[in-house]
Amino acid sequence: MATVVSPSPDSSPNIPSANIQLPAIQSYTQVNDEIIGTLRPTGKWFAGLGFAILCMLIGATAWTYQIYMGLGVAGYTPPVMWGVYIVTFVFWVGIGHAGTLISAILYLFRAGFRTTIYRCAEAMTVFAVMTAGLFPILHLGRPWKFFYLIPYPNWRLIWPQFKSPLVWDVFAILTYLTVSATFLYIGLVPDLAAMRDREKHPVRKQIYSVLSLGWRNSDREWRHFARAYLFLAAFSTPLVLSVHSVVSFDFAMSLVPGWHATLFAPYFVAGAIFSGIGMVFTIIIPVRRWFNLKKYVTINHLDAAAKLCLFTSLVVGTAYLVEFFIGWYSGSEFEHSYWWDRVFGQWWWAAWIMLLCNCVLPLTLFSQKLRRNTTWLFMLSIFINLGMWFERFVIFEPSLSHEFEPWQWTAYAPTYIDWAILLGSFGFFSMWFLLFIKNLPIIAISEVKEIVPPPVRAPHKVEGINVSGMHLEFEPETPGERD
Amino acid sequence: MQGIVGVFSDLDSTVDAIESLKKMRAGDITVYSPAPRHEIEHVIAKGPSPVRRFTLIGGLLGATFGYWIPIWVSDYWPLVVGGKPVPSWVPYTIISFELMVLIGSLATVLGLFVNSRFPRITMTVGYDPRFSDGEFGVWVECPPDRQREVSGTLQKFGAAEVRGEA
Amino acid sequence: MTENSAPSGVGRREFLKILGAGSAATAAIGCSSDRVERLIPYLTQPDETVPGVSTYYASTCRECSVGCGVLMETRDGRTFKLEGNPDHPLNRGALCARGQAAVQGLYNPDRYRGPMIRKDDKLVPATWTEALQLLSQKLGEAQSAGTAGNALFINKHESGSFPVFLDRWLADFGMPAHLSYDSLADHAVLAANRQSYGVSWPSLSFSAAKLIVSIGADFLENWGASVPQQLDFADARAKLEDAPRFVYIGPRRSLTGCNADQWIACKPGSELAIAKALAGGSVESAAEASGVPAATLESLQKELAGAGRSLVLAGGSGAGALDLALAVNALNRQLGNVGTTVLPDQPITSFEGIATDADLRAALERMRAGQVSLLMLRGVNPLFTMPRAARVPEAIRAVPFKVSFSSYPDETSELCDLVLPDHHPIESWGDAQPLAGVISLQQPGMDPVYDTRQTADVLIDLAKGNQRTAARYTAANYMRWLIENFPGGTAAFTAGLQKGITSGSLPRAAAPAHVSNAPQAPAIDDTKGDFYLVVYPSPTLGDGSGANKPWLQELPDPVTKICWQTWIEINQQTARKLGIDSGDILHVETDMGELEAPAYVYMGIQENTVAIAFGQGHTAYGRYAEGVGYNPGNLLPVSFDAASGSLAWTATRAKVTKGTTFAPLVTTEGSARQHGRGIARSIPVDELPHLEMEHEEHDMPGKPDQSYLPGLRSRMAADAMGEVGDSPSRFQKGMYDPEHWSGMAKRRWAMTIDLARCTGCSACVTACYAENNIPTVGAPYQTTHTAFLHGVPGSNILKGREMNWIRLERYWEGGEDGGEFEPRFVPMLCQHCGNAPCEPVCPVYATYHSPDGLNVQVYNRCVGTRYCSNNCPYKVRYFNWFGYGEPARPQYAWPERMNWQLNPDVTVRGKGVMEKCTFCVQRIRESEHRAKAEGREVKPDEFTTACAQACPSKAITFGDAADDEWSVARMAQDRRAYHVFHEQLNTYPAVVYLQKVTHPAPKSAAGA
Repeated sequence: MATVVSPSPDSSPNIPSANIQLPAIQSYTQVNDEIIGTLRPTGKWFAGLGFAILCMLIGATAWTYQIYMGLGVAGYTPPVMWGVYIVTFVFWVGIGHAGTLISAILYLFRAGFRTTIYRCAEAMTVFAVMTAGLFPILHLGRPWKFFYLIPYPNWRLIWPQFKSPLVWDVFAILTYLTVSATFLYIGLVPDLAAMRDREKHPVRKQIYSVLSLGWRNSDREWRHFARAYLFLAAFSTPLVLSVHSVVSFDFAMSLVPGWHATLFAPYFVAGAIFSGIGMVFTIIIPVRRWFNLKKYVTINHLDAAAKLCLFTSLVVGTAYLVEFFIGWYSGSEFEHSYWWDRVFGQWWWAAWIMLLCNCVLPLTLFSQKLRRNTTWLFMLSIFINLGMWFERFVIFEPSLSHEFEPWQWTAYAPTYIDWAILLGSFGFFSMWFLLFIKNLPIIAISEVKEIVPPPVRAPHKVEGINVSGMHLEFEPETPGERD
Repeated sequence: MQGIVGVFSDLDSTVDAIESLKKMRAGDITVYSPAPRHEIEHVIAKGPSPVRRFTLIGGLLGATFGYWIPIWVSDYWPLVVGGKPVPSWVPYTIISFELMVLIGSLATVLGLFVNSRFPRITMTVGYDPRFSDGEFGVWVECPPDRQREVSGTLQKFGAAEVRGEA
Repeated sequence: MTENSAPSGVGRREFLKILGAGSAATAAIGCSSDRVERLIPYLTQPDETVPGVSTYYASTCRECSVGCGVLMETRDGRTFKLEGNPDHPLNRGALCARGQAAVQGLYNPDRYRGPMIRKDDKLVPATWTEALQLLSQKLGEAQSAGTAGNALFINKHESGSFPVFLDRWLADFGMPAHLSYDSLADHAVLAANRQSYGVSWPSLSFSAAKLIVSIGADFLENWGASVPQQLDFADARAKLEDAPRFVYIGPRRSLTGCNADQWIACKPGSELAIAKALAGGSVESAAEASGVPAATLESLQKELAGAGRSLVLAGGSGAGALDLALAVNALNRQLGNVGTTVLPDQPITSFEGIATDADLRAALERMRAGQVSLLMLRGVNPLFTMPRAARVPEAIRAVPFKVSFSSYPDETSELCDLVLPDHHPIESWGDAQPLAGVISLQQPGMDPVYDTRQTADVLIDLAKGNQRTAARYTAANYMRWLIENFPGGTAAFTAGLQKGITSGSLPRAAAPAHVSNAPQAPAIDDTKGDFYLVVYPSPTLGDGSGANKPWLQELPDPVTKICWQTWIEINQQTARKLGIDSGDILHVETDMGELEAPAYVYMGIQENTVAIAFGQGHTAYGRYAEGVGYNPGNLLPVSFDAASGSLAWTATRAKVTKGTTFAPLVTTEGSARQHGRGIARSIPVDELPHLEMEHEEHDMPGKPDQSYLPGLRSRMAADAMGEVGDSPSRFQKGMYDPEHWSGMAKRRWAMTIDLARCTGCSACVTACYAENNIPTVGAPYQTTHTAFLHGVPGSNILKGREMNWIRLERYWEGGEDGGEFEPRFVPMLCQHCGNAPCEPVCPVYATYHSPDGLNVQVYNRCVGTRYCSNNCPYKVRYFNWFGYGEPARPQYAWPERMNWQLNPDVTVRGKGVMEKCTFCVQRIRESEHRAKAEGREVKPDEFTTACAQACPSKAITFGDAADDEWSVARMAQDRRAYHVFHEQLNTYPAVVYLQKVTHPAPKSAAGA
């Protein structure tokens, strides 16, 4: 029996669970019951889904009209050739970065607080990337020819121009979408098996059986599963960093003053993670309340995530400072001119919205009280989403409208078409996410099971045992959750 | 295929049972657990998973392909853009990297499928829905003549249920 | 793209079909003439017309009175482009924007489709038989009633035989000689010249002068014969060190003024005093009258006296315009310029026999008094061109029967009882006498577009139908008549048609007896308001006749860069005082009327003057003119310089008040300042000797013979040069090597633009529109579908979506504080960079670098990511935001028959693709193919681009920079050569600019 009471020193737990405990969870069965129990469609949910679909249809209508009439119906004002669509594209790609960060990078870093939020974040990633993927097509002059960008074999061997950052984009985004979707699905398989085994309804049971690939929880499956999961995480980690770097190359590789900066790759990655975590808050805080999953997504999880949010905010702030510094320090008339126009010129309002939302407000997270106040966290996350959308706006439009050739300096104002399509993108995203939360477990059942105490024979037999997950003390000095 | 399955409601009895079953060389043992537990891994003590080989090969293939395609294509149409070399390997590194990740990951998944025999069409004998819920199962594949002995052992270690399957 | 200019005629024919909108469709849609329903309607004998190969017919431009020579490029029976006739002594191959836009008059969708007769107060279509019967009946009545003497024929002024023919015809019907009217003519100067030199317009030699002083004479715009003057002026300026200094005196710094080295702002009406002062009169009084510092006048007076050969010009039309013109002529004589810079012995005869505004007014008086029984108008629109105070409609209505020969529905023809639409000049026969001893012939380029008839033929038919006159009209039609009466007869005529010109002189119509009972304009009454009102004819729209041509509407005013709009120019300092900003609505009020338009704050206007361009504000002139801008004529009193009979355009003061609203200016200008970025560079003439040629490294690997030009050869990747990774089997490799067997990289197409010559007239812009099927996007019907801009003229241009492949940027230098400022013009087009930033960012190879140095744009491949435009530092790439080429779309740029103008060699770009200057690749390939077919090399300067061909300053030179035989290669070696942005961005542009050279006031006049 000694094998049980002393975890072998050479092994580290394969699913990290060192620092965040779930005191309220006592047994495996409870986990199944409570998490799978959330998957019951409610009237409110249908209402929400309907609203999301409505928004999506508004966007779809606007897009149809735009395809028929031409891009001119949007607000483009040459030389501002990239407008709200590209801003929104980068915005959604950024959102899509938190998920993989949390599920993959934090996995490798053994950051235990990820366990209960990563499934949500990962789903968010997949849907956000799906949404983002629409925009490059949507902003094309001839969207029906988008496949010219995809390297498909053809007898004349006319292929994309692989030196173009836009082609890198195609590769990066499609890879990212595939890999993160795979990652999400593989993680889901054991949970699907659990659902299969509980399901009474024959049709649904059949569906779950197919989806769960006949998973049986056998030791061999767990062994390969853990290995595969580890490698996927190992691949996703550099992928996350590369994808947004590549997205940033769309701008950094050009010579537009304000875009042409070596800083851009890390700058964009930090911004992406920042915005992603913001969106995680926006999603997870209502969900944990509605589905009353507070005992799974505890305030400590949120607290930890808020620290990460604060850190990325500081990184982003530094990036802004560096950008502004170079604008002045480069001594280049072009750099200085665009920068002045951006911060104090016709675009001052956008720039200051950005600075307020991304640099000033997150500083409140230095206070633990506020970190543990979900209401504030939620409000802040909304500000962060807004601020990050404006960050992209501020990077793209002012630079384009204030380039080398003064004769072509201009202003830019989006039209109702731009806004309608922006709204549509949120509808599209919400639709998928709502479908997800009522059909698949939003918390990884098997991984939660790993950090709850395993059933043991009898308490007296395990005196002083330190099986991982049996430390039940709950930092008493930290204040509890505040709503 | 014949064997005995024992259902355990706690971890340590499971581990003990497996230990003694291994000692008595009862036969091929498969353990079902709601979540992966190291205790079980250790007592089963199997070698490292071969999935990593798939990953390696996939990644290498992807990287090579990612360089080959753009170089071959731009070589086929040697058009100059922006005065840059016709095949310029630096930007192509990005293509190469992305394809490495893509094909590497897919190969990893393939490895998982191959090694754990996915997708499995029918539930094999010895499995019980409870194993995905809260309980542990030990499936011992053994000839009829040893079944009594094995089930005895299982019960000794407090199996909640012992069932012969065929 | 090269496919577009494949040499096979059949290919072109197919191509023409593909341009469906252009050809086949035309037959179906609302087409009244069956003759054009064939795919290739032959114009002349088939053996002359090779499908797909252009035929050029020499003719004469009739857009203004001057009569430049044009070549009508005609393909498959359709004239689609006008170019200057190189053999013509007047315009030497150049052609102004208005001349080129004539084709848009020809194909104008709003032209009269056929004759119209007024039935119950509405003009309704009729057949020619009906129409002619009606008119001959009226003529008969007039003759029998003996009222023929009261008839009146007002004709658009033109030189040549038609006035003679017309007068004879009128005489035969017992009618008085016609009135030859031109609202743009500078009657005061004409009268003065007749007095001083006996000719109405001596030719002027700018290049012979050392100092040019223009007192309100806009010789680059509407003053005299602008194109020849511009050609000579540019030649003069191109002499650099020996070039004349140019001083412009006037209340407003016009385009001409913007080409001056010094602008002296004076009060309107004080020009005469200044002229007297320059002639040695009292400087003080002049200074006092004009508000010009005495020192300035004094130094100019000295400078003029010491200049040797100089040239003084006068313009403007206020009270005492004749005295001014006479004073200036006297000054020229006193300075000994007559015979050196003013050449009365080589007169320009285009303006002979012109009637004055006063004559027209007298006619209107007679009409109003009911003394005119029959009114015939051809090509004139007095209702628009005369001030509203002249009460023209009333006068016209007073005439019992009014006939209009106008081709377009306009304000005047709307009032007529009978409309017999005239052929467009491109469809007509005729001749002109622009210079003494030079006849310029006019012939049709194609079959009539609509069911129209040349007026002369109509008159002949009428005469034939009338028993009294029939005998005297034997000629079958006007062409026959011309030949019969042509000096030298048929042979000379046919010989002349080949070149478009021939020597000889035509009989001249008797000069009209000018009536001079017009009310003399009083001295401007200072109590009427605190601003002088200056109304000047628009350089692009002329007297408003250009307003129905979208090219001219879309062509930004060369000075203010505003199009599709009427604006009010107000001085910068004054505006600052009154808190007026560009775009604020100003309310201008005179005794005659009031007008509201956005302000344009301008440094180049005298501080208590507001100026408004004339030409907009039509109420009936087709879809492009109606509802665009306002007509400042409504503000003017009807007062004249009685002595010369010219209408006083500057005759009143106006009350100007700031309105409450704001209307964005429809301008193509972003920032008018260069911010020291060295885009348009100029150098004072005294620094010219020290100017060293810009030296750049020529890093074409290892080939010294290619380091011929500053930066024109960029570093080409070694493998593209075939120096590495080349294998004999892969022959494409290395095709960028000039030595490569395919010779694809042998040539390096390049362009030089001499800013010392460029006057900013913008003829190149229109030429580009004409050659490259560039859509105009500003018409009122071309909505942007953004709510608040719906139906606003130029709404797409407010969104910055103009498609001008070549644009004229006009930058101001200095003058922020109201001091002296220097305007600089720089044509900006695709620079075809060697290291083009736009190329590597295109994900689909839609743009790449061709071996002969072109930056190629492949429309079929373009998906419209617009990344190339983001990455273009020159911002010369233009995107098709709407389906400008799709008839079903509200933004369709070529409504029916306008599409006949489309150049068959160039695709009409589809919705959602990027486009830009191609260096007229279709012309390059065409000449290459021709050379190949003839088994020879392309000859140096054998062809050129549309912009270079049209340029009336000869500022643009295009060609193969790799071959020193081409003049572009020599031009690019000029010490003034520079590239835009090359130093900062290493783009290796193929466009080389030559710095402008300024001539500051001599040190002696430093006090100025």
